[in-house]
Amino acid sequence: MMPPIDPHGLSAMPAPYWFVQFFKALGFTLHMVPMNLWYAGLLLAMVLHLCGSEHGRRFSGRLMTQMPVLVALGINFGIVPLLFVQVAYYKAFYSATILTAWFWLAIVGLLIPAYYGVYAYALGLRNEQAGLASWRKAAGWGAAMLFILIGFLFANGWSLMTNVGAWSRLWENHSVGGATLGTALNVADRTFWPRWLLMFGLALMTTAAWLVVDAAWFARKENETYRQWASSFAWKLHTAGAIWFAAAGSWYVFGAWQAGLRASMSTGWLHVLMIATALAPGLPWILMALGRKQAPRRATALGIALAQLGVLAVNATSRQVVQNLELKAYLDVAAIREEVQVSPLILFLAVFVAGLGVIGWVIAQAVKASATEPGQSGV
Amino acid sequence: MHYPWWYVPYVTAPMLIAVISVVHVLVSHYAVGGGLFLAVETGKAYRSGDREYLAYLKRHGRFFILLTVVFGAITGVGIWWTIGLASPLATEVLIRTFVFGWAIEWVFFFVEITAAFVFYYYWGRLAEKTHVAIGWIYAMAAWISLVLITGITAFMLNPGDWRPGDSFWKAFLNPQFIPQTIARTGGALLLSSLYVYLHASLTIRDGRLRDLIEQRSARPALLGAALVTAGGLSWYGFLPELAQAVLVRAAALNVFMGLIFALTAAVFVLLYLGPYRNPGWLSPGFALALFLFGIAVFSIGEFVREAVRKPYIIYNVVLGNQVLPGDVFGSEAVPGLQKTGYLEGGIWTREYVKQHYPGALDGDRIDEKRLLALPHSDRIALGEVLFQYHCNDCHAIHQGYSAVGPLIRGRSPAMIRAVIDDLHGAHFFMPPWAGTPEEAELITNYLAEIAPPRPEGMFPLPAVQEAP
Ligand code: HEC
Repeated sequence: MMPPIDPHGLSAMPAPYWFVQFFKALGFTLHMVPMNLWYAGLLLAMVLHLCGSEHGRRFSGRLMTQMPVLVALGINFGIVPLLFVQVAYYKAFYSATILTAWFWLAIVGLLIPAYYGVYAYALGLRNEQAGLASWRKAAGWGAAMLFILIGFLFANGWSLMTNVGAWSRLWENHSVGGATLGTALNVADRTFWPRWLLMFGLALMTTAAWLVVDAAWFARKENETYRQWASSFAWKLHTAGAIWFAAAGSWYVFGAWQAGLRASMSTGWLHVLMIATALAPGLPWILMALGRKQAPRRATALGIALAQLGVLAVNATSRQVVQNLELKAYLDVAAIREEVQVSPLILFLAVFVAGLGVIGWVIAQAVKASATEPGQSGV
Repeated sequence: MHYPWWYVPYVTAPMLIAVISVVHVLVSHYAVGGGLFLAVETGKAYRSGDREYLAYLKRHGRFFILLTVVFGAITGVGIWWTIGLASPLATEVLIRTFVFGWAIEWVFFFVEITAAFVFYYYWGRLAEKTHVAIGWIYAMAAWISLVLITGITAFMLNPGDWRPGDSFWKAFLNPQFIPQTIARTGGALLLSSLYVYLHASLTIRDGRLRDLIEQRSARPALLGAALVTAGGLSWYGFLPELAQAVLVRAAALNVFMGLIFALTAAVFVLLYLGPYRNPGWLSPGFALALFLFGIAVFSIGEFVREAVRKPYIIYNVVLGNQVLPGDVFGSEAVPGLQKTGYLEGGIWTREYVKQHYPGALDGDRIDEKRLLALPHSDRIALGEVLFQYHCNDCHAIHQGYSAVGPLIRGRSPAMIRAVIDDLHGAHFFMPPWAGTPEEAELITNYLAEIAPPRPEGMFPLPAVQEAP
């Protein structure tokens, strides 16, 4: 096929290149924090509730009480990278999602029942001291499965976006009169499977970090043995996640990448970035390993949280770089002409800072309110 | 014509946008007005020390969050999803024009959800003043997000004299901006009162409390209805002439406009007679009737808003069939396509010809003369491709939304060809024919093939002339 992206006729970018790249990666990093918690954390909560220890069940309940808020935050943060991907990558993004349209649209359709499932479970925890009704348990399990399916569909869309060479064949096989039926799946792409699995490893690690943070900062109601359990269980969970991450990551890099991409990622500072991405989980892991015998202190928990955030940030940066490299032959985003909308950009930054201020104030009120009444856990 | 076209049988892809938008606005207006309701009424309940009212407001808050944060937010994302799938070129233009509008809106969403959760989950633990203040933060952020998105949707209907390359502000402050903001603000007030009535009538037994709620929300509802009417009238006044003509011309839209006026009047009368004059009438049946009338007005209004833009998606900027009307952005525009050919002008259509009919190529380009030399069945197949990429955004094929089959039932190829040649002239709400005469012949071949015969048993036609 001739290149399915026409590099001519690209209209000017309304924001500087660095700005788009920065907010796209930043937004994705922020999105991953709550997303990881509903991706692996939700399933873990279901498993722990079913067959976990007493402490495991406590953690399960705590996480599920927080889950409605986490889902809302994750969806909200997801808007940022989605907006900026459309600013710069629209030619690749729209074509790829249109080819897989029904599956892409299904994300929205599945998210609604998944989120209500989370609520059904969480409201049951609040109200029914006697134990959860079985339909609520089913709703929780259903939500866990739906989120993993949604992850599959996202991986499908994103991997297809950079797998430009496959578009023609997928379009041929799923079309009438040259129009796509929107029923293509990118599962023949070698990068797809490890990519989808990789996120689950990250998600296990983030869930582990959250367990520590929650135990150190929010779990005032819980006793000392719970906190000790949290430290040691989090370390085990993080270990499992790191192994998973290493396995899927090796498969991805050594088994699925094109030779050219691997070569580009093995030179200069990109090589440093790739190694950093691979090794980053080591830092939170070491912190957890050191603290696994005692209840987490707040400072340690903060360190673990920042280290895990670092893991996600390096990962988002690497993904960004790889995405640009994979697309470069068809669409060189860095080369697009810029006509920056200066005053709207400044207004956005001002509103962003002011908005964070307001949000900070609102959260401070909540923190103050829960401090006056011990025994109530945050969200 | 960079994007593959998504064929959705019966419904057509753009109709999915209309469906999701309608569902979304029914909740998103409540997300704005309901926030104001909670802020104002919580303050009032604190001041009067009305514990029962407070308890009700807390229950209402839970219903509010469950509906707006989940269904409202996700269907909003759903609109974004579908516009990218069904109208990629228009979405591309919108995103690049308004990226910072959306980015700012996102900040307000973030403020909204934080405020909403703290307002609800810390109920009874926050100081009264702080609690009400957080309610107001939510309400203001929600209203500003309404204003922001209205600037963008209003732009699609009438961008005024904005042209690509012009500033963000000129695009945002378009002629439709103020009318639509007034109408939507009114809509938020009205619709949220109807939600409150329905919720209260179904969940409250205590007569005093029910009367109190009915009476408290009557004025905002009436004010909202008045704003909707004023905004709607000025919306009409600031429509481009084309859209006014579409409204008058299309039979279905006529009926819809009549319905909107009738239903709005009914809502007015019911509000006035019921909650305003006779608190105590608020039975579940009454509230449900009000609610359904309100929902109907909103759904129809939103549908009309989407429909009157034809043939454009963004008036004068992007046409329904994913091409540009004039020399905007310099490429993918009608005059160029009329010269080089519609099939040649699109990445996917060109590829289709290459893969299936290499015989129609002259070197690397599609040769119009060779297209006509193809066997009849191949011409029909290429006509179908042209139909998909040029017409399917507004017409289903055999059955369904504005299906072309029934529209051309019994027409001769010559009559069909006449419509194609002057598509925009035949109906100004269709885009101009953006292909070559040879391509017009191919699509005529296809349409003649799928046109059902004239119903039998009618007065016979004089022998019709066949196209050559
Ligand atoms: C922007 C939307 C739009 C596009 C694109 C469009 N049409 Fe239409 N078309 C309409 C509308 C609306 C009507 C009126 C339908 C009705 O009366 O129910 C119409 C009517 C028709 C009719 C009936 C005309 C008559 O004389 O009564 C035909 C035939 C037709 N379209 C064919 C086409 C073909 C072929 C294409 C593609 C080349 C096309 N249309 C593209 C919107 C569109």
